[in-house]
Amino acid sequence: MAQSGTASELSLPSALMLLAPLTLLMLAILVYPLALTVWTSVYPGQFSLQAYTELLSSTLFLKVLKNTFEISLSGTLVSLLVGYPVAMHLAAQPPSRRTAYLIMVMLPFWTSILVKSFALAAVFGNQGLVNQLLGFVSGGQINLPMMFNRVGVILGMINFLLPFMILSILGSLLAQDRTLILAAETMGAKPLRIFWKITLPLSLPGVVAGVLINITLSIGMYITPALLGGRQDMMVANLVDFYTRQTLDWTAASATAVVLLLISGLLVALLGKVRGASGLSGAVA
Amino acid sequence: MTVTPMTVTPAPASAPVAEGDRAMVELQGVTKRYGEVDALKRVDLTIRKGEFVTLLGPSGSGKSTLLNLIAGMITPSSGRIVIDGRDATTLPTNQRGLGMVFQNYALMPHMTVFENIAFPLQVRHLPKDEIKRKVEQVLDLIQLGHVAGRRPRELSGGQQQRISLARCIVYNPALILMDEPLGALDKNLREQMQLEIKRLHADLGITMLYVTHDQDEALTMSDRIVLMNGGKIEQQGKPDELYFKPATVFSAEFIGSSNLIPGIVEAGGVSGLSLRTAIGTFPVPAADFAVSTGDKAMLLVRPENMTLTGGPGVTSVSGRIDDSILLGGVVRHFVRCKDQSTIIVQELNQPDRPIAKRGDEVRAGWPPAHARLLPPSVPH
Amino acid sequence: MNALFGSSRLSRNLIATAAWLCYVFLLLPSLIVIPISFGNPGQIEFPPRQFTLALYQQFFTDQAWWGSMVQSLLVATVTTMLTLVLAVPAAYALVRSQLPRRNLLRGLFMMPMLVPVIVLGLGLYLQFSNWGLLDTTTGLVLSHIMLTTPFIMVSVMSGLHHSDVSLETVASIMGASRPVIFFRVVLPQLKASIAVGALFAFLMSLDEVVVAYFLTGTKAMTLPVKMYSSIRWELTPVLAAVSTLLTLLSLLIALGIIALQRKTEANP
Repeated sequence: MAQSGTASELSLPSALMLLAPLTLLMLAILVYPLALTVWTSVYPGQFSLQAYTELLSSTLFLKVLKNTFEISLSGTLVSLLVGYPVAMHLAAQPPSRRTAYLIMVMLPFWTSILVKSFALAAVFGNQGLVNQLLGFVSGGQINLPMMFNRVGVILGMINFLLPFMILSILGSLLAQDRTLILAAETMGAKPLRIFWKITLPLSLPGVVAGVLINITLSIGMYITPALLGGRQDMMVANLVDFYTRQTLDWTAASATAVVLLLISGLLVALLGKVRGASGLSGAVA
Repeated sequence: MTVTPMTVTPAPASAPVAEGDRAMVELQGVTKRYGEVDALKRVDLTIRKGEFVTLLGPSGSGKSTLLNLIAGMITPSSGRIVIDGRDATTLPTNQRGLGMVFQNYALMPHMTVFENIAFPLQVRHLPKDEIKRKVEQVLDLIQLGHVAGRRPRELSGGQQQRISLARCIVYNPALILMDEPLGALDKNLREQMQLEIKRLHADLGITMLYVTHDQDEALTMSDRIVLMNGGKIEQQGKPDELYFKPATVFSAEFIGSSNLIPGIVEAGGVSGLSLRTAIGTFPVPAADFAVSTGDKAMLLVRPENMTLTGGPGVTSVSGRIDDSILLGGVVRHFVRCKDQSTIIVQELNQPDRPIAKRGDEVRAGWPPAHARLLPPSVPH
Repeated sequence: MNALFGSSRLSRNLIATAAWLCYVFLLLPSLIVIPISFGNPGQIEFPPRQFTLALYQQFFTDQAWWGSMVQSLLVATVTTMLTLVLAVPAAYALVRSQLPRRNLLRGLFMMPMLVPVIVLGLGLYLQFSNWGLLDTTTGLVLSHIMLTTPFIMVSVMSGLHHSDVSLETVASIMGASRPVIFFRVVLPQLKASIAVGALFAFLMSLDEVVVAYFLTGTKAMTLPVKMYSSIRWELTPVLAAVSTLLTLLSLLIALGIIALQRKTEANP
């Protein structure tokens, strides 16, 4: 009843006064630089779309774009395959124990991406823990190159992506009506059948949201490919940096950034359709 | 209506009787529209200084809208609101000089009981020692001095509601609004609090506007009841007026229980009128509204005015006992008439009372002077 | 467990094994840096063959390292305070007003979370090179305010949605002005949400690397930027000591947030 009242409601002038400082800052430090990027991409002296036509005919750009999609999609796929059983395991725990496990899942989320990259190099590098173990077991026969190549990027990426995937799927698993499964069991359905016929279909919204969040987050990745990948694993974000710092071609850098902005904008819009506008914020906070 | 500009001077602690009939709140043709829906339709209402007025009505009848308009939480679509002689139609809430008690108490969880009650005084920039004195005084008044240092959530619901009342009383507002303040309490506590609020009202003479959907509460507490229905005032008056002289079928049904028998007005009887119904023709007392023979009308007889024993000068109708239930001090009989309608008869319970059994043939009777003729109900 | 996917012991064990492998994979990188940091100062070594504090000594005696940490802590602290000052009133206005098109503003404040950081990094680089703000603490703090705003917004707006509006109404009826209501009724109720948002923002700013890498050179260099170039070019074992310090800090902040969130859930 009080919600619609003027007593609990700010008048328009005071609302504007409270909103103005942050709005001005956002216009100056967010909207302006984005607009400047678009402007730089189409106005190298005079208006021209040349930067974009050049990108489309550049083998480097096309290869990097292909890399980006390959790495994002395969990272997301691995994250889904690994994350689903984890979400099932979490969903099956009693609430108190689930909180403890969730802290383990969330810890990487709180850890600096640089710490994780450094540590992953220490674990999966040529002299790392995993190769030491493999060497010990095989008597020095096996040494898997897992860092500074595609495998390294994907390992780093899923370490970053998994918490988002797990939380998203967990949400839709916990929302399921468990009596459905009991009913199916009473009627004699086998576990695998129950999974395919009930659990999986009902968790699809969480899966779709998780997949979209993962692709959105991975498509603009910069640190992981730069630190854990090889020269062949450059992604779009790294290309932006390359044009900016190495070739000092700000027009190409801006055009590349605009392409990335469009792709991720499309993904965010898609995610918004699936989960409502708070899709990403819900996953982060 | 003259509008004298004046500052909000709270009514003195005991309002002199002479001020008793001056208006504290006046609503003039107030309408509140939400889109296509009129939540309130051209309502006129006057609340006198020191009066205890209850807004009674079913949910959606507009009583909360009316309260929120007076509080300033919403502004009227048209009409005028005058509070204490000052036009308050668009006055901001915090300048109206009112107090309000909510059903959920609305005590600040981060403040102690003392700080909660001190808050309105601090807002008014009273000196520290005066605040302390006033808060202690009002805590004594509600006999909760010992909980001054506690947080609201450590207290029971009844205690919290008394604190919330104290927080209003302490700054002497012109008018205290109460929005179903006892709705969250259990029955015993509710009755106890009704008496306590009544006592505070009598002692302090503060004007109170009370909203409830509970007719017993309204009958217990009010100087005047304003019965609301469909965004309009259906009827207003003292509790016994509303009970004994309902003007409409809605009033009769909302307050107390009632037997309503539809029929057609005919000439005859002592008053010159009688009503022909499906179960017989009965003499009726003179009506409060314009009526002539051939009109449709309703006969109202309260169950407690009926008896199964008959007697001289009693009108009666024959029927068969359907059920007879014991409610402690009274017995309630459900009498099925020949047209299958049910009449409720309520008698005092006595040890030597003959026991009515299901299927017994009886005559349900009433003194004609205790019946009342009402206009037929108009669907809203 | 059987309530969710049947009672087969085999499937249960398979799932538990897969889940535990994943937990180890998620935890290992955060934890393995701790033993390494106390080990051989000459090279990155796991398991460590000695116990020494040499790497920490190296970190705290090398001005390039601890200087960048001081810079990071400074930037994160100033950023957090300024973002609070700007975003809390804005969140309040968004939730408690009928401003037309307020969803547009809400979208604007949430946008930094949705735009790839590299795009923001480039845009700010182009802008700040015009404005002379490259390699300045001011420029960095401004961009970090922008980047951390969504996190404080989300937390404070959810706190406002859970707070009791009738308290503000009753304060207004009692005669309190809007500023009094904001400081004495609204803010005390938001304490926990503000603290959660602030811790989040602090951690985000402290760990932020992409924008800082674009905007800073030698003068305003933050710890993540220093770490980034170090991992990229030399991979020194000092990184293990830095990582341990950062992980412990993250852990502390995370535990603080979890405790605060529990507290708000316990007394809404």
